Amino acid sequence: MSSDQDHLKDTDTEKRFEFKKEENSAFQAEKGLDEETIRVISDDKDEPEWMLERRLRALQQFKQMPMPDGWPGAPDLSEVDVDEIVPYIRPDIETRGGAENWDDLPEEIQDTFDKLGIPEAEKNALSGVGAQYESEIVYQNMQEQWEEQGVIFCDMDKAVQEHEDIVKEYFMTKAVPPSDNKFAALHGAIWSGGSFVYVPEDTSVDMPVQAYFRMNSDGMGQFEHTLIVAEENSEVHYIEGCSAPKYSAFNLHSGGVEVFVKENAHVQYSTVQNWSKNTYNLNTKRAIAEEDATMEWVSGSMGSKATMLYPSTILKGPGATDNHITIAMAGEGQNIDTGAKVYHNAPDTKSTIESKSISKDGGRTNYRGLVHIADGAEDASTSVECDALMFDNESTSDTMPYMEIQENQVDVAHEATVGKIGDEDVFYLQSRGLDDDDAKQMIVAGFIEPLTEELPIEYAVEMNRLIELEMEGSLG
Amino acid sequence: MSTQVHANLTEEQVTQISEDLGEPEWLLETRLDALDALDTAAMPDVIRTPGREWTNLDALEYESFVDPLDRAQEKDRIEAEGVDVLGWADALDEHGDLIEDYFGSVVDPQRDYLTALSTALFSAGTVVYVPEGVDAEDVKIRTRMNSQSLFNYTLVVAEESASVTILERQGTGEDIDGKRYYSGVVEAVAGENAHIQYGALQTLDEETYNFSVKRGHAKQYGTVNWIEGNIGSRLTKTSVETRLLGDSSESKIVGAFFGHEDQHFDIASRVWHEAEHTTADLVTRGVLDDSARSVYEGVQDVGREAWDTSSYQRENTLMLSDESEADASPKLIINNHDTEASHSATVGQVDEEDMFYMTSRSIPTETARNMLVEGFFVPVLEEVEVAELREDLQERIAVRLRN
Repeated sequence: MSSDQDHLKDTDTEKRFEFKKEENSAFQAEKGLDEETIRVISDDKDEPEWMLERRLRALQQFKQMPMPDGWPGAPDLSEVDVDEIVPYIRPDIETRGGAENWDDLPEEIQDTFDKLGIPEAEKNALSGVGAQYESEIVYQNMQEQWEEQGVIFCDMDKAVQEHEDIVKEYFMTKAVPPSDNKFAALHGAIWSGGSFVYVPEDTSVDMPVQAYFRMNSDGMGQFEHTLIVAEENSEVHYIEGCSAPKYSAFNLHSGGVEVFVKENAHVQYSTVQNWSKNTYNLNTKRAIAEEDATMEWVSGSMGSKATMLYPSTILKGPGATDNHITIAMAGEGQNIDTGAKVYHNAPDTKSTIESKSISKDGGRTNYRGLVHIADGAEDASTSVECDALMFDNESTSDTMPYMEIQENQVDVAHEATVGKIGDEDVFYLQSRGLDDDDAKQMIVAGFIEPLTEELPIEYAVEMNRLIELEMEGSLG
Repeated sequence: MSTQVHANLTEEQVTQISEDLGEPEWLLETRLDALDALDTAAMPDVIRTPGREWTNLDALEYESFVDPLDRAQEKDRIEAEGVDVLGWADALDEHGDLIEDYFGSVVDPQRDYLTALSTALFSAGTVVYVPEGVDAEDVKIRTRMNSQSLFNYTLVVAEESASVTILERQGTGEDIDGKRYYSGVVEAVAGENAHIQYGALQTLDEETYNFSVKRGHAKQYGTVNWIEGNIGSRLTKTSVETRLLGDSSESKIVGAFFGHEDQHFDIASRVWHEAEHTTADLVTRGVLDDSARSVYEGVQDVGREAWDTSSYQRENTLMLSDESEADASPKLIINNHDTEASHSATVGQVDEEDMFYMTSRSIPTETARNMLVEGFFVPVLEEVEVAELREDLQERIAVRLRN
């Protein structure tokens, strides 16, 4: 495991993320983590007593829990020093609940977003936008028709105040308890911001809901919490995109996502992450799917120094379905360790995992996944496919699936392939007038199509553009 | 360590084992070093997932069935022409330098607690030496354990352009009350252009705990092929491994197991591609009945210098009973992009349509099921190039199905 710090070269790709806004924060917690810090955060947010208690309990668990280890080939987390993380920063904006519309945002925040080439989509076609600049939602826009339908989409801090009963029931109690792992506990102690989505029974939200996350402070982490509750027969597609300016001090991103898919409901959660290459991205995302429900995870992991992310679903009700599409791309100095976890805990449950990874310039990708079929989950079926593409001999690509099958009436299949970009494919394209770089970009674009076709067009375009930038000038 | 086997073991016991075999000083030292290492050595790795260990080795009470000076056993060795197949004492007399060169060069004598235990205590050994250019077909080694515990060591050296086929059987002889422990370490070295085919059939009684490490080095154009059938034992923890050290070397690892009642098989196949143009093929098939459990790990590791690698792995498990459990983790570790690699694993039950087809043609259900299970093993049996081993395995599968 390379722990080389000096992994950033001066390429166009990096320049694109090298700008940085002057920090202008209304409130900044003292560095380090103790009970006092937690109380200050909670107090500043005017949180109810039960939330403070949950935070304090999570802090205790965090202090007792070991760092993740025992996983072969896992990223080196020895440089993650949580005492150096600034746990909470609020951008200095006039209203606590976010701006009413885009133009009300401070110019410098707009500027940051523009420079990152955020798709026009968020201002036009798409209905709800929660943009997280540092640790808080600063931009919110909800369509009237949603309100009429009873759909709630707001930032998590606001949800604690205004939808206390729902949040109290679901927040880190069922899907991602703080005891899940050390970073889930950390998250539970110092979470801030994130999105709350509530879709009532028999309601379809036909516009993708999106939120953007940014980091813009030295040595600070982001700990946003996303909670999605989709009641019976409802439907929603939530999209999250991430991209961060790069800084010299390392950043930690440790988000939490909890999704509740009730009977016969359908949730798709899509994310394209492009953290800057000094960020440790350690997330815990889990869904619980009831009878005949469908959960779909679509994840693109592009940036970060090290990512450990295994979206997981508990198939709790008979007939529930879980689909994963994951794409990981690791360039120089990056270690992207991603996969999926599925627990088949009921009969007739189905899952599919489709994983694609690309590694180049010494990047490391690893698919790490778990399929667990409990005794009694009759007629469960699962199919896992992992494909990896490697550009050069400095890169690595690993596949480490785990299957635990305790039921005999099952259909379990896992397969994986690894190979280099086909010389013949490149030759074919070159002989038709494309240069080497374009040929390879085209092959990669085709390789990741299963992901991009799941995304709205603006995202697919951004995704492809990110990959182009990643590959620019570094091929051959 | 929850078990302190070695608390009962003394240097005197180890020295006595060594003296009885007329061993040279270096080997006694190797044994005593391994004995010392027991204080710090870890148990062999087992796979862990959140909240679970797939095999719990600490739960075994080794001290209750490890009596190092009780070594009762029967050994049959069948030589082939031009090959030396020697018991340990004779081998040390005739090939002392060779043994000193190779002993512990393939399997680290202290790689884990159970290997170190085996190194310190082995009382029976076989050395198979195949001189340059010799072709040998039918080398056979049969071990019958008549004691509470037995530690076995086998060394195979095939010189340049030599080839040898070895069939080893491990079983239990006389009945003994209580649990038993069998440990076997096999080191195999295939020289340039040499070919080693090593088949092993384990049919220990179901009160016996079985630990085994088989590991080979293949030099340029060399081949080390392993076949391993696991039928017996209460619990088996086995690892079959090849390092492809020379350009164009090859390894095929074929595994078959059939577990019933409360047997537990923890089976690993591992291969390291460390040179150019190397090829590996890992094929394992297993059947589980009653409350038997299987744990499978397959590792294909392609090193930075392993250009033009081909590496394949397939593992299929058939579950006959709802009480059984099958865990699998096929791993690919790729550090060179000039690689064609794939792995696959499946778990399922006897195909309902196949059953229907046969029962609708008036074949009784039980017979149909047995035929389909026997058929399931065919692709693996076809890979078994030792006819005697293949027939023996087939026979044991049939017997188990009909009981």
